[in-house]
Amino acid sequence: MSILLDEGQQAIATECRRVLEARSDKGRLLGLLEQVGACDAVFRDTAVEQGWTALAIAEEHGGLGLGLIELGLVAQATGGVIAGAPFLTVGYGAARVLAEAGSAEVQAAWLPRLASGEATATVAFAEGNAPLPLRPTTVFAAGRLTGVKEGVVAGLAADIAVVWAMNEGEPALVLVELSGATRNPVDGFDNSRLYADLAFAEAPATLLARGEAARALALDVLARMAVVTAHEQTGGAEALLTIARDYAVTRKAFGQPIGAFQSVKHRIAELYGLVEIARANCIHAAALADAADGTPNGTANFLIAAADARISATEAYDTAARDCVQIHGGIGVTWEQGLHLHMRRARSLAIEQGNLLFWEDLLVDHLTGEAA
Amino acid sequence: MSDYEAFRARARTWLQSVAGEFGREARRGLDVEQDLALGRRYLAARFDAGFAGINWPTEMGGQGLTHIEKVIFDTEEMGFGMPTAYFGISLGMPVPILMRFCEDKAFVKERVLKALRGEEIWCQLFSEPAGGSDLAGLRTRAEVDGNGWKLNGQKVWTSWAQYCDYGVIVARTDPTVPKHKGLTYYWVDMKAPGVDVRPIKLAGGDSHVNEVFFDDVRLEDSQRMSPVGGGFAVAMATLMIERYVATDSGGFGPHLDLFVDLARDVEVNGRPAIADGRIRSQIARNHAMRAGLESITTRAMLMMQAGMEPGPEGSLNKLVAVRSRQKLSELAIDLQGNAGLAFDPHASQKENWTASWLNAPTGRIAGGADEMLLNTIAERILGLPQDHRPDKGVPFNQIPA
Repeated sequence: MSILLDEGQQAIATECRRVLEARSDKGRLLGLLEQVGACDAVFRDTAVEQGWTALAIAEEHGGLGLGLIELGLVAQATGGVIAGAPFLTVGYGAARVLAEAGSAEVQAAWLPRLASGEATATVAFAEGNAPLPLRPTTVFAAGRLTGVKEGVVAGLAADIAVVWAMNEGEPALVLVELSGATRNPVDGFDNSRLYADLAFAEAPATLLARGEAARALALDVLARMAVVTAHEQTGGAEALLTIARDYAVTRKAFGQPIGAFQSVKHRIAELYGLVEIARANCIHAAALADAADGTPNGTANFLIAAADARISATEAYDTAARDCVQIHGGIGVTWEQGLHLHMRRARSLAIEQGNLLFWEDLLVDHLTGEAA
Repeated sequence: MSDYEAFRARARTWLQSVAGEFGREARRGLDVEQDLALGRRYLAARFDAGFAGINWPTEMGGQGLTHIEKVIFDTEEMGFGMPTAYFGISLGMPVPILMRFCEDKAFVKERVLKALRGEEIWCQLFSEPAGGSDLAGLRTRAEVDGNGWKLNGQKVWTSWAQYCDYGVIVARTDPTVPKHKGLTYYWVDMKAPGVDVRPIKLAGGDSHVNEVFFDDVRLEDSQRMSPVGGGFAVAMATLMIERYVATDSGGFGPHLDLFVDLARDVEVNGRPAIADGRIRSQIARNHAMRAGLESITTRAMLMMQAGMEPGPEGSLNKLVAVRSRQKLSELAIDLQGNAGLAFDPHASQKENWTASWLNAPTGRIAGGADEMLLNTIAERILGLPQDHRPDKGVPFNQIPA
């Protein structure tokens, strides 16, 4: 469903952009690229201070009780400034799993601390190139978790993880404290995402859900996180559209602004189209998720909408990164100029929450009624 | 149920009740003349049912409702495949402009009623051999002739002109001033002496567009609908009259479901086409694109209902949807292999991939070529510079031909 943002939602979007723009610093982000294990502390503190970690957690657990629409707007603003810290999306995903499947004890132990920012959480579903493998190799048995999850976002810093694992021949969602895991940092192209290979060797863990219930919940949460990430991607693409446009009206060649050449102006106009399509899909998916909360009939429609948002946002951000650099010419490929921050983020976000191949297949499965 | 939803339900009920008489199935196999006759009967029925001129004033035979009900009705109507194409331009642009700019109200009312009932059709005589995208470069001239005017020149790509009773036309009345400033806007009787309409057969085999020649055609000054030299502004008003119309995220080609059906019916290299990654990827990308366009349209409707001006992103629909339809149609023909070589020139563009493919280029050019739409987005929305225009400010008769 498509909605118009209400005044409160518009205020969240405006305030987020204002705060983030005041505190963003390209030099700081460039420095983070060359450090393994450091994230953007300024953003992290801002997120906690502004209540973004509490946004989509229920009030009874110390959160603000808002939905995916509001979280999406925050994510869109963070995407615009390439905010370095990865907690927002996976923290939401983990909290969602705990809220849906955790015992009262588990919820009381973690949700208020996640909301307040005192603790951070991540989600470890993927193995290899599969965002949600049919039969994960990580195994949960007798209260212990064993296996390896590669490239877990925020894995270097999170306190807890919700892990997709096998339990007695069925997939399961389990909660594990990462103090019981070996964290091997991934030295990658977008280091402030704090990627880690997490190795579990009989780490104490708690079962949250298993079997069909676990699969349905994992897919729903993955789709929800994908919608948040799609907002972040759209925010990044939108920022690049503005950067490209501003450059094209100032930079001159052959006696005129380069934006007067159709090869340049049409490229930028095409970006506008990609951004607006992605934005429309994001709003639609987020509103559908919030409306479909608790109504199982809406599941397939929401998954389709999430896939639409994810596919169009990935295409928008990747294309904007590619084309914005191209429009800048030589200056666009320099370290200092920093467009590569967006290029890198476009690709890291394209992988987090599942690649295009996954979402394209999932979408077609649902369109043809062949979804499991 | 909101008033809008009640209106939608009422419209749908009526459309369903006449679909058997006028809809897609009733039209199958008809030639153009028969289809046009059916269309005229449909418009009369629509008028009698109270769904004509939905957002036009009641004193002009309209329903006095808003633009929102109009878009709701058009969207519902589109699904039934009614024979409305012949009247789309007539009722979309020339007749509303007539209501707005023609001073002889008795004449206007008579024309409007006949147009709404499908008894008369109006065309829009803008494009010329020397001016399509560059509308203001047109050369058809109107010269003072006693107390009226004398029209000479040629128009082209005029839709349905061969069936039209009247048209609106922009002509050059002063070649000594820059091109935009020397134009004047008139209505013209298409049956007047000196008007010669010659259909143009298009690539897909149909001939809905025409060349129209004017040879000393007499215009009364009462046919003038703009100040002398003020025609370009009225021409722009004509093009802007309905910024938000009922859109089709499929680019007026087949629905994506039909592509999915095809992919389920055929194999590629011994495997089901629907399992082929290349096919799946195209389905997914097209779905995501169309869903985005549909959400943009839905939000525009919500904004209008809330009394707000919709955002400019509505202008993306034609650009994005039609060229995607063109490529998807190519892929659909590929999927059929040798079986895809057959072609029925009467097949519907909305049901048949070959007809869709063969006619898609028209969609990418008519009503604003892709390149012009990109320029509009770049210049009007993003504030990028205009193209280099060597004819800017130059008197028309000094622009190198």
